[in-house]
Amino acid sequence: MALLEIEGVSFEVDGDGFLTNPSLWNDEVATLFAKADGIEALTPNHWAVIRMIRTHFDENGNAPMVRALCKETGLKLKEIYELFPLGPARGACRVAGLPKPDGCV
Amino acid sequence: MITQEQKEKALAILADRADPKLQTHLNSCVRCGLCADSCIYYKAYGEAQYIPAAKVNMITSLYRRYHTTEGKLLPGLVGTRKLNEETAQKMVDLFFGSCTLCGRCAKHCSIGVDIPFLVGKGREMLAAMEIIPKSLQATADMAIQTGNNMGIPVDEFRDTIQWMEEELQEELGDAEAQIPLDETNKQILYTLNPREPKFFPLSIAAMAKIFHAAKESWTISSNYYDVTNYGFFCGNNAQASVMARNLYEETYRLQAKRLVLGECGHGTRAIRWEGPNWLKTTYDFDALSALELIGEYIRQGRIHLDKSLNQKVCTLHDPCNLVRNGGLLKEMRFVVRSAVTHFTEMTPCGTDNFCCGGGGGNLAMSEYNERRLKIGKIKADQIRQTGVKVVITPCHNCVDQLTQLNHTYKLGVEIKTVAEIVADALIINKE
Repeated sequence: MALLEIEGVSFEVDGDGFLTNPSLWNDEVATLFAKADGIEALTPNHWAVIRMIRTHFDENGNAPMVRALCKETGLKLKEIYELFPLGPARGACRVAGLPKPDGCV
Repeated sequence: MITQEQKEKALAILADRADPKLQTHLNSCVRCGLCADSCIYYKAYGEAQYIPAAKVNMITSLYRRYHTTEGKLLPGLVGTRKLNEETAQKMVDLFFGSCTLCGRCAKHCSIGVDIPFLVGKGREMLAAMEIIPKSLQATADMAIQTGNNMGIPVDEFRDTIQWMEEELQEELGDAEAQIPLDETNKQILYTLNPREPKFFPLSIAAMAKIFHAAKESWTISSNYYDVTNYGFFCGNNAQASVMARNLYEETYRLQAKRLVLGECGHGTRAIRWEGPNWLKTTYDFDALSALELIGEYIRQGRIHLDKSLNQKVCTLHDPCNLVRNGGLLKEMRFVVRSAVTHFTEMTPCGTDNFCCGGGGGNLAMSEYNERRLKIGKIKADQIRQTGVKVVITPCHNCVDQLTQLNHTYKLGVEIKTVAEIVADALIINKE
């Protein structure tokens, strides 16, 4: 466990910078985590991805397939990679306050 | 607290007198220190604890204490250590958190001690005591429970494959292009890293495009497609065997002639080189990497590439398990040079290459993220010095670490798999 400080706000995170307690997540957390990844302002498309990931997590306890992300948001795969340069796992899931997905990500 | 039972199970691993390799390598280090500079952890931190010989000593000091006469009688005189909670925690830190099993030290060792083999024995001891970093063990357990390390449900997997099939058909303008699932009697059973269907499926479409161009007879299993083997990383041979057996039996069930291992360094090593030992059998089908298969297609003229379609300057990152520990140095370069216009090497490269920093399961262990990025700076600096725009590597684990290095150290490069770069250069013959 570690403390991550962004713009004067501290978060308890795992070693990879994922929120330790996903229930503490809110829109402000998303905005700050995104900033730390170099995303200055979250656009409606960013939010569509984040909301979908969050809903899936609340219902299933894990991250959605990128297939489901594209289907639900109507975004193309390429657009999702551009929105979150660190990818759907280390990028989008972290901003959405999920625990780090297991595996080679 | 470590129980007596845990201790006995762990120490039994070092007692195997019937294993001449183990006995030799436990008794060989002369502590010359030449390995120090070969290790990315020592290079990054400059601390003596990270010298590979110090990792060797961690395990040999236990061996001397419990398995040699002088160590039992005069433990204080022959450099021994007791196995207790403190030692076990230090072992976790050294064998999991300070070693990617890259094997560069073994290559630099003055007498050829197989240091990663000994670190692997250390991991086996920790597995016997059930003291494995949580995130790593969870990944292995998921693969045992569900057949793939990300726990992807079969229907969602099928849906993704179908989606990629549609993308392929659109790209090729050919409604007949397929990604065949669960078909029997094909030449090839192809395997994937679960991160592909879950988050990065374009590499599946890229390989499908190559199969299409080669007019290959192939299939993917929707039950057992996971090429990774986190049991191997965990030092848990029982789990590693189950994972290897899944692919072995699936090859028979679908009656495929060849098992083709997707772009995954440790997975290729685990199935191809370690698998027959775990399963105590020889394979009577071909097990080969996708990289070798692509090389075969190029040589046999089954696919044709136009290098001019890849104009950006490229370099290659050698995955440790495919090159230093896998013998694919030349084949990898043959394939990549056949697909790109401008190619340059990193220094050092090939069998003396530096690990990306994410090997040995380190990418999956949140516990050591900070260390992983620090040792990865060596690779980031190497990439920057080449001035390339594209880094190609045939290992999804390396791809993810390189993606993080690219972001952290602002390298401004693209990271691609071999299948992706080859697919971009394909000339599709429409008859």
